[in-house]
Amino acid sequence: MKFTTIDIKGIISPFSAIGKVLEHPKTVCYPAQTKTVAPGYRGFHTNILTDCIGCANCQDVCMNDAIDMITIQEEKNPKNKSGCIPRIDYGRCCWCNLCVDVCPPNSLALGEVCIQAEMDSNKFLFFPKDSSC
Amino acid sequence: MDSKLIKIFHGPQHPGITGNMSVELDLLGETIKYARTHVGYLHRGFEKLVERRTVIQAFTIVCRICVPEPDPNEENFARAVEGLAGIEISERAKYIRVMVQEMSRLAAQMLWMGGQSGSIGMGTVGQWSLFDRDLMLDLFEELTGGRVYHMYTYPGGVRRDLPEGFLLRLSELLDYLEKKLPKYDSIFFDNATFKKRAIGTGVVPKEEALKNGYVGQTLRGCGIRRDLRKDNPYLVYDKLDFDIPVFDGGDVYSRALVRRGEMRESIKILRQVIAQMPAEGAIMQKLPKHRKFTLPKEDIYVATESARGEFGYYMAGDGTEHIRRMQVKGPSLIHGFTLLEKMLIDEELSNVAMIMNSLGICPPEIER
Amino acid sequence: MKNLQKTYEVTQKVERLFEVTVTQTDFWEAVLYISTQTEFNTLSQIACADWIEEEHFLLTYILTTDARDKNLMLKLTLGREYESMPSVMTLFPQAEVMERDLHEMYGIGFEGNETLYDFVLEQWHDLPPLRREFDTLAFVHEHFAFKGGREDNKDVKVEQKRRREEAKKQKALEAAKQEAKKQETEKQETEKPKEPNTHATDAEETQDKKPDTKEAEDGQ
Ligand code: SF4
Ligand code: SF4
Repeated sequence: MKFTTIDIKGIISPFSAIGKVLEHPKTVCYPAQTKTVAPGYRGFHTNILTDCIGCANCQDVCMNDAIDMITIQEEKNPKNKSGCIPRIDYGRCCWCNLCVDVCPPNSLALGEVCIQAEMDSNKFLFFPKDSSC
Repeated sequence: MDSKLIKIFHGPQHPGITGNMSVELDLLGETIKYARTHVGYLHRGFEKLVERRTVIQAFTIVCRICVPEPDPNEENFARAVEGLAGIEISERAKYIRVMVQEMSRLAAQMLWMGGQSGSIGMGTVGQWSLFDRDLMLDLFEELTGGRVYHMYTYPGGVRRDLPEGFLLRLSELLDYLEKKLPKYDSIFFDNATFKKRAIGTGVVPKEEALKNGYVGQTLRGCGIRRDLRKDNPYLVYDKLDFDIPVFDGGDVYSRALVRRGEMRESIKILRQVIAQMPAEGAIMQKLPKHRKFTLPKEDIYVATESARGEFGYYMAGDGTEHIRRMQVKGPSLIHGFTLLEKMLIDEELSNVAMIMNSLGICPPEIER
Repeated sequence: MKNLQKTYEVTQKVERLFEVTVTQTDFWEAVLYISTQTEFNTLSQIACADWIEEEHFLLTYILTTDARDKNLMLKLTLGREYESMPSVMTLFPQAEVMERDLHEMYGIGFEGNETLYDFVLEQWHDLPPLRREFDTLAFVHEHFAFKGGREDNKDVKVEQKRRREEAKKQKALEAAKQEAKKQETEKQETEKPKEPNTHATDAEETQDKKPDTKEAEDGQ
């Protein structure tokens, strides 16, 4: 566009942004105030140990090889034939929910916790939080 | 070569782009005399990875091919698998998918607005539009469980049903956005600074636009009305009433106005979807032999209109549970190279980021 | 469309998607004819699939119309031994990048394309990575180290078998004990002979197995 005429509207109208000053800020001030996640959020895994039958379906379907089956310390489910429960490597997991979809007794789920900080990357191996108790 | 030319690399990191890509420029003073694009900073080998995975395992990574708008990828993947296996999805699933597509289009346009304004130094617009995008992501979080990568559109339907009262909240957000868009007009689209820089910059030659296979805003910004949602309708787009905004200039400003118009149209489509969505109906057609689902030995090409143009997938099955080949054609594959290199000549250095952003160049989908 | 059907055998794949197959020698003629005489005058993608068992690549030129409402897949097979194709850059300038990509990923040459230098891979001297014989896993094992700390992974099948055998042994032991007890009691009252209890343990075991397999199938 040639600036033969001065574009007065174009010069004035951006100043309407000043009106934003009067609005209430929407920022969540993090440690003091936490944002609640929606139900059904895909956060860290939880597992109902009294239901998990140790079938390793979750390990088979996980394309990132994020799941290891580990011998359980204290047996909670007599039906658990292998005595193993899944442990998840959060360095590899992509929170795709496939392992939850294929779990036969629906014991595995994705919870709402999603914040974790560690200095050592090898510490990112987690047993899903037991949600049975 | 003229000894007065200075060679600089613009990028790999710069505000013009969602990803990493550099442009090698020869400058005479401030003017570009020669440009060459360099990609390769974001190659993740998705097409190779997919070959080693079963269908449902591959489904979880396709959304990562394009960062700003993952949903067209999922839609393409799902539609390619459905086309190969001959699965027909339910009406309700189709409506939900259209809804997801349009929500993602709105979110992507918001992100684009942030990038476009950022590339010419207007931080405020970016702050506003990313906040509004976040409101959209909140809805996505509720619907799919994830904010950016949704992994929601599944071969055979969608993965979860709508949560209680979701459509109500969506229409509330649409009301809010409808009120907000005129404010963007006044601070961004009508802004004299933006107009002065954008009008007449980065002009796409209209004669070669169709012949060279440009897509999306690159076409619509120079007055050619092409949109796959109308021309080659998929899902239920043929039952919905919407316009395709077209502007004539071929420059950065026209493309911006096209996008502005598309936001309005997306809101219109979403309102119709909310009104017409069947209340009952299956959302998912179970894949036969879910985990060991086999594709026939066939191939297919599907395309979806993403926020930046045609996203195409070529997929070939081979009679096993693996996909033989999945080839992605991102919208910016074509104009990200030949057009950009031509267009940058005789432009000013300060306009490079603006032009790249306006073309919607996205290296993640170029390199896969 | 009519023009095309007159000269070539066109099959419809799905709605608005058509297919024409040509041979490598006819390709140039076909693409020239289609791009000038029919409505399919723009190229939107060159796809390639590696059919290693049949020893060829399947190249698919996806052509589209000016109205963008139909797609045509122009297919041809090409030998796998680093053969080359005529470049279609003179007809479609956008083919430049696609051919560069295919050259790098499959090692297909394109005569007439001057830009076949590095595209996304830099200084890659290995096999072209999208050929089927390139093994990603082997490449990863060769070039990267895996993170430690995951060695305690158990194979569930092995573990199940081991535990089942343990349980069996346990049961056998108990059964033996019971037998001994019974024999003692039988000795005391010899009038009524009882069924041998091996049957009972067998039945118990099959019953035990059933819920396991059933539940595993639910997830499929
Ligand atoms: S979590 Fe579910 S799928 Fe995984 S071992 Fe336990 S029961 Fe099987
Ligand atoms: S969420 Fe996905 S990536 Fe993570 S452990 Fe489960 S299947 Fe694997």
